[in-house]
Amino acid sequence: MSAGFRFSRAWSIARKEVRHVRRDPFTLATALGLPILLVVFFGYAIDFNVKDIHMIAADRDNTRASREWLKNFTSSRFFKLEPADPGQDPQSALDTEQAKGVIIIEPGFGNDLGAGRPAEVQILLDGADNSTTGIISGYLIGIQQAAWKKISSGPRVQPLSLQTRFLFNQEQNSRWFVVSGLVVVVIGVLSILLTALTVAREWETGSMELLLSTPVRPLEIIFGKLAPYLGLVLVSVVMVYLVARIQFGLPFMGNHLLFLAGILLFLCLCLAQGLLISVITRQQQLAMQLSFISGLLPTLLLSGFIFPIESMPPFFQYLTYILAPRWFMVISRGLFLKGVGLLELAQPLFMLLLLNLIMMGLALKRFKKDLEP
Amino acid sequence: MRKQAWAVEVKELTIRFGDFTAVDNISFAVKPGEIFGFLGANGAGKTTTIRTLCGLLVPTSGSARVAGLDFKSGVQALKSKVGYMSQRFTLYNDLTISENMAFAASLRKLKPGVLQSRTRELFKFVEFDYPVKTLVKNLPGGIKQQLSLAASLLHNPEIVFLDEPTAGVSPVIRNKFWALIRKLARAGKTMFVTTHYLQEAEECNRIALMREGRIIALDTPQRLKTQAFPEPLIEINPEVGGSRQWVEKLKLDPRIGCIQPYGRRYHVLIQNQAGWKKVARTMPKSLKTRPIQPSLEDVFIRLVEGGRT
Amino acid sequence: MSQISIQIKNLSKRLGPNQALAGITASFEPALLYGLIGPDGAGKTTLMRILMGLLFPDSGECAYLDNHQTVAFERVRSSIAYMPQQQSLYPDLSVAEHLEFFRDLYLISGKVFQKRRAELLHLTRMEPFQDRPAGKLSGGMYKKLGLMCALLQSPDVVLLDEPTNGVDPISRREFWDLLYRLIRQKILVIMSTAYMDEAERCSRVLVLDEGKIIAAGEPLSVLKQEKAGNFEELFLQRQKAGRR
Ligand SMILES: Nc1ncnc2c1ncn2[C@@H]1O[C@H](COP(=O)(O)OP(=O)(O)OP(=O)(O)O)[C@@H](O)[C@H]1O
Ligand SMILES: [Mg+2]
Repeated sequence: MSAGFRFSRAWSIARKEVRHVRRDPFTLATALGLPILLVVFFGYAIDFNVKDIHMIAADRDNTRASREWLKNFTSSRFFKLEPADPGQDPQSALDTEQAKGVIIIEPGFGNDLGAGRPAEVQILLDGADNSTTGIISGYLIGIQQAAWKKISSGPRVQPLSLQTRFLFNQEQNSRWFVVSGLVVVVIGVLSILLTALTVAREWETGSMELLLSTPVRPLEIIFGKLAPYLGLVLVSVVMVYLVARIQFGLPFMGNHLLFLAGILLFLCLCLAQGLLISVITRQQQLAMQLSFISGLLPTLLLSGFIFPIESMPPFFQYLTYILAPRWFMVISRGLFLKGVGLLELAQPLFMLLLLNLIMMGLALKRFKKDLEP
Repeated sequence: MRKQAWAVEVKELTIRFGDFTAVDNISFAVKPGEIFGFLGANGAGKTTTIRTLCGLLVPTSGSARVAGLDFKSGVQALKSKVGYMSQRFTLYNDLTISENMAFAASLRKLKPGVLQSRTRELFKFVEFDYPVKTLVKNLPGGIKQQLSLAASLLHNPEIVFLDEPTAGVSPVIRNKFWALIRKLARAGKTMFVTTHYLQEAEECNRIALMREGRIIALDTPQRLKTQAFPEPLIEINPEVGGSRQWVEKLKLDPRIGCIQPYGRRYHVLIQNQAGWKKVARTMPKSLKTRPIQPSLEDVFIRLVEGGRT
Repeated sequence: MSQISIQIKNLSKRLGPNQALAGITASFEPALLYGLIGPDGAGKTTLMRILMGLLFPDSGECAYLDNHQTVAFERVRSSIAYMPQQQSLYPDLSVAEHLEFFRDLYLISGKVFQKRRAELLHLTRMEPFQDRPAGKLSGGMYKKLGLMCALLQSPDVVLLDEPTNGVDPISRREFWDLLYRLIRQKILVIMSTAYMDEAERCSRVLVLDEGKIIAAGEPLSVLKQEKAGNFEELFLQRQKAGRR
């Protein structure tokens, strides 16, 4: 009688969930308010525009090699390079906030380079300005790689690694860059939080005991609980999309169907993650904390949303491979700004699918039909 | 200063939720040191009244004075004079006994030093002897109730409102609870108690009976009984099983007023003495009958039901 | 029509620091009403949860028989109605919405539901309060709603964990009429209760203490055997004798 999956039961759970959401102002406010807040916050309040960053260069080597190396900065539109005042400690420029960064090339740079020894350049950044440091250091690495290829013997290579990162954002509009990543943050935070709370609430208030005593199957509970949040988060995503397109004039160069596929994959994964959190914690407060940690941190810090992955320490770079936000970030930005196709997105889509299977499997396995601790 | 006349004085109190009237124009007064039973059917408005008297709900109309204070002078002063044990469990399951007590004390602005001695004193008074480091969730239900009671007494209130303190509690602990309530009343505290165990209510000095937001009777248990039952009442005690058919037959008999099960026994209201004698003669020997005093449960059923079977 | 009986043998269960059940053997037959009574922490709720498949025993077995044929628990699960002791309803859903929700979970057809629902609402005198959310019901009304949700389906086994706590004496009587009706339909009913007069009205009682059955049988014979006039006395005597 109760053997198979019954859509009607899953549906009734979903309907009950919709009622909860409709009557709980907190959930609705979070689901619809948070995306708007994020868009406004990242779109307006923070200026990520890193054009014309003031840099001071103290070239104490003053050889052809060092000058050549520095030229990479002067030719870049992002930096405004000024020679250091000889009588002054270049570092003081940072303290007085005359510059965001200081480049110091000690004597012997050219010699080392010529002799094939590792040559050192010292770069000091203003760490107090958190939001731009990450970006600057990302640029620097790109520049450095390009410069290295140029200076070190061998064929002169175009500084491609620098250029490619921004080719798609031709207007150098960092606002676009950020807003196109917001979809990732909105899904990543909202869906994990909302599902974690809803299932944990059933445990905490004791209603799970009654629910589990009915013929309802775990899969029906899961399906019924997740479907409404899937819908709710999709609405938030559409809101972010519209605001991005209309308010910030963001282009959308790719295929909308591909975008939808990516969104659904990432969304399902996040829902499964929220579910996993709630079946493990069974407490709303703990579930909330865990979902903030496991939802917010990876999407904000380890997805390339603000801090470029290439500029992370190797450990974190590898870590991002198993974090879904990274892959969805590639999809989202690729479709908004670059107009990439299925071929380029095959890898991120595949990774999302893989992670999805793992997360769903874990959540299903941990979802119990009993009250054992 | 003149000793205050009433511990609780309620005049024409009405409480509405939207357009639903939960408490409908009730008036009553409770003497200091009295055990006052507040009985009534589910949803009659007992909890609502108590919550109002504790300053947790604002009355729609009417007035109330509790411990000599009315609500116009603010509920803050009131809160130090009344203790409230809610019908719902209000302690924190994930805290230990002592943490819960400390939290309850901090809500009432008790000094830590006072808390220590007061807790010790109270636990001795309520004969509570669990290690204070135990998590509340690991306590059996009746013990939790005892702890809730202790928490509501922390600030040494004059008037204690107990909303179904013994719901779901086993007979032994229930006895202990009532011994405590008597002890507190002897110590001069006013005990305002609701319960659905009407046997317990026999211990009250006076009882108010509520139905659908109104007080339909208010008196001592004894007087309530004699007023509600001018007719005699008979108990039938079946000594063996299989008496149910008989009882079903009696139910249909027009000479019998009404018949109510009490455990294995039955209480039969006699409306026609001569008729009953005839019926009794036909009954098998195993059904022992004897005239009895009505219990408060009989009174409750009769008054709240309005005499309907 | 299936008639389910349950046989438990030597059930033991440890929960955290407490030995909730310490070797319980009993059998529950259809068309009878079993009352579990005992002091706090005697193991009543744990036994109920094991019978409902919500907890698993550490040792011992729990067998379900349908017309004397052993069947797997999953086969009977959907025909067991269960009412937990702790609060388990949704405060923001109304009485009517709760009933509809459980109708859907139990796949009850519209016609049957209408009849059943009207019956239950009448019995519990909750008709006027159908639109009130569970969070705004009085304590006893909340209990009654829980009861309605459990009894909405037509089960073969009914497990009720202290269903009448906080229910007023009149509704309690009406509830007992309903229980008798259930056992006349050959349903197995197991309930725990803290009302000792209710214990006397059961077909069989199991007196539990500290995870063990200390007496079982027809109420009258248990009382005779323990030399007590009623169950209240039984527990007070035991306490006096120092056995808690
Ligand atoms: N916040 C609220 N909003 C709407 N109605 C309410 C609210 N609180 C209580 N009620 C209603 O007021 C009535 C009285 O409730 P109350 O809790 O006072 O009953 P009670 O006498 O304590 O019953 P019980 O014996 O079941 O505990 C009930 O019908 C209840 O549903
Ligand atoms: Mg109440």
